[in-house]
Amino acid sequence: MKWRLVKFSKNSAFMNMSIDEAILEMVRDGLSPPTIRLYGWSPDAVSIGCFQSMEEEVNVKRCMELGVDCVRRITGGGAVYHDSEGELTYSIIAREDLFPKGIRESYREICGYVVRGLGKIGISAEFAPINDIVTHGKKISGNAQTRREGVLLQHGTILYSLDVRKMFGVLNVSKEKISDKMIKNVEERVTSVRSYSDASIEKLCESIETAFTEGREYDIGRVSNEELSKANGLAKNKYGSRDWNFRR
Amino acid sequence: MEGRSRQKIPGGKLVEVRVEYGERILGVEIVGDFFMHPEEALGRIEDCLIGMRSGEAEGAMVEAIRKEAENAGVEMIGISPEAIAKAIKMAIG
Repeated sequence: MKWRLVKFSKNSAFMNMSIDEAILEMVRDGLSPPTIRLYGWSPDAVSIGCFQSMEEEVNVKRCMELGVDCVRRITGGGAVYHDSEGELTYSIIAREDLFPKGIRESYREICGYVVRGLGKIGISAEFAPINDIVTHGKKISGNAQTRREGVLLQHGTILYSLDVRKMFGVLNVSKEKISDKMIKNVEERVTSVRSYSDASIEKLCESIETAFTEGREYDIGRVSNEELSKANGLAKNKYGSRDWNFRR
Repeated sequence: MEGRSRQKIPGGKLVEVRVEYGERILGVEIVGDFFMHPEEALGRIEDCLIGMRSGEAEGAMVEAIRKEAENAGVEMIGISPEAIAKAIKMAIG
């Protein structure tokens, strides 16, 4: 089974979610290989979990003023602020029979690659069920998975640098609550690569790529024209639509 | 009437429920940062509660949710039929 590694590129939130789903559809149809994709977000974005309420989780007005994209994922989990300079996202999309049947076990396996990747830049991290990765007791990566028609899609973020004030500016936390105490509280629970490593984001990408591909036969590839065409349709009709993003 | 509840499930995720109700439950929306596979099943779980008596015992709601979840082959992570039923009862007050 030959995998495809799609190297890091930055896209809008709508295209990022659309590309992941387009690849999922093509893997389901046997037209694309199992894929590991690294990406970033430009402009900055907020993604919310499949079951969350956009209005409740996100300061939509502030996002519009700042030009921050807001998108609903097809995966569950919580709201995530995707800083265009401060984060690396991965997706792994493959037939589900390539992974443990149990969802919790497959989180453990896939998050294990991220843990190994962080280890390569000197960060000792561990999987923290249900879906987090922690280092020094603080969260450094959040992950979310879905399975559709025999295909597993897991995407996750690795925090490279952390700007808590910026994050609170777009998530729905009242100004009164953005106290120094609260920021301190978040900084005690969440951390980033920069806090424990001098590695550049390029080095982080390389380490994560290596961790995912070790022991696998793979080609470095790109998102195919057919996948891009599907993704453009999804970006227009689903992920860029109010119907989808504000459905809850 | 409309009721809401919000709870962090111990060892799980955040679940917020909005219920529209009179003598019976008229509408339910469940939101939160939990996981449910397949995701589409959440709508079925919300629908299975509609029409139940608002004063129905929590246990009966748990059973209805569990049955629907089993029929739809649902796997819940960070949420459970018990947590949903408890949230509904809290929202109704």
